[in-house]
Amino acid sequence: METQFEKYKEIGNMIQSHGQDFIIALIILVGGLITIKYLNKLFKHILERFALKAQMIHTVNNIICVILLFLIVAAALEHLGMATIIIRRVLFLISLAVIGIIAIFRPLIPTLPFKVGNTVKVENLLGKIEATTILNTRMKTFDGKTVFIPNTKILNDFVINYHFTNTRRIKVDVGIRYDQDILKVKQILETLMVEDARVKAKPRPVVYVLNLAKGCVELGGRCWVDNVKYWTTRCDLIEKTKLRFNQEGIIMAFPQLEVHHYHGDTSPEFLGEGNHMSG
Amino acid sequence: MKVNEALKVIDEGWLRKPKGFRVHFQKQVDSEWVTEYAPGEKEKALDSDVVAWRLAWKLSEATKPDKTEIKEDELVNIYVVDDLGNPIKYYASNQFEVFNRREIES
Repeated sequence: METQFEKYKEIGNMIQSHGQDFIIALIILVGGLITIKYLNKLFKHILERFALKAQMIHTVNNIICVILLFLIVAAALEHLGMATIIIRRVLFLISLAVIGIIAIFRPLIPTLPFKVGNTVKVENLLGKIEATTILNTRMKTFDGKTVFIPNTKILNDFVINYHFTNTRRIKVDVGIRYDQDILKVKQILETLMVEDARVKAKPRPVVYVLNLAKGCVELGGRCWVDNVKYWTTRCDLIEKTKLRFNQEGIIMAFPQLEVHHYHGDTSPEFLGEGNHMSG
Repeated sequence: MKVNEALKVIDEGWLRKPKGFRVHFQKQVDSEWVTEYAPGEKEKALDSDVVAWRLAWKLSEATKPDKTEIKEDELVNIYVVDDLGNPIKYYASNQFEVFNRREIES
């Protein structure tokens, strides 16, 4: 009983002597954490004014907050009486350990093949990546739907990331009737592509005769544009192609069938004697 | 002549690739005729002639003047020009086109 009483007395003396320091250290810690939270928002607003990418803002913000957290913890521990040099050594060791773990294990951690803000296609979903978490990725499609895709699905499937290259190739494929002037059509298509301000001069726009199909001669125009201008340029070129063909009298092919109807005694030359249809 | 040189000659002589398009129009300001552009001359030009002609058409429909009298907010002589200020052909007809055409005394 007396030893217990002595223990309580010892605790009471410790609280009396160091209690104030504990409370102040706690106040420093809690106050510091609240300050970091508000500073986090402030830094985010400041960094956004520099027109940096969202991922970069997030990373820089996190680094600043971690450094501030270390300083606050160091200040609290220093107030408790811990020697400054010990705090620095401990924090330095923790930093080294964290960096070492990241450096060793980072290559082993599967990463998603895109960043926030990229336009990607996963299966038949096309949209812009808004956020990524450990479990899923949030994508907004161009018709306004928000889709949450499990990261496992992304890692196990083909993903098209439209941001890896700055340019993209446009295909303008047309089919014309066999009786149309191929050279004229090639010239028109190439002119339309060359004179468009958005089409790159290199690689040069070209027009190929792709195929002599059943119902038409297939031609394909190929040109390169900036990624962001791909869709509007493609639509404009298709529109201008059709209108220019109309103006130049070029007739585009459409599915059709020629029926030869023979009357009476007349018969086609390809039917010889002995054929039951030759009469 | 090398192929690269030949291609350079072709690029310079065959077709000129415009660097941008603007919609040219005229309107009355304090009884005087003023020529303006959309986008403005200090703003970035449009990079699509299709977009520029659609803008020109919509402007002409929205500000069609009366047959006899032209009010201050009505726009006339609307057409698309390239970065050098030269009128370009309307892509739909492949002809030079002017919406809300009016003869203006200079």
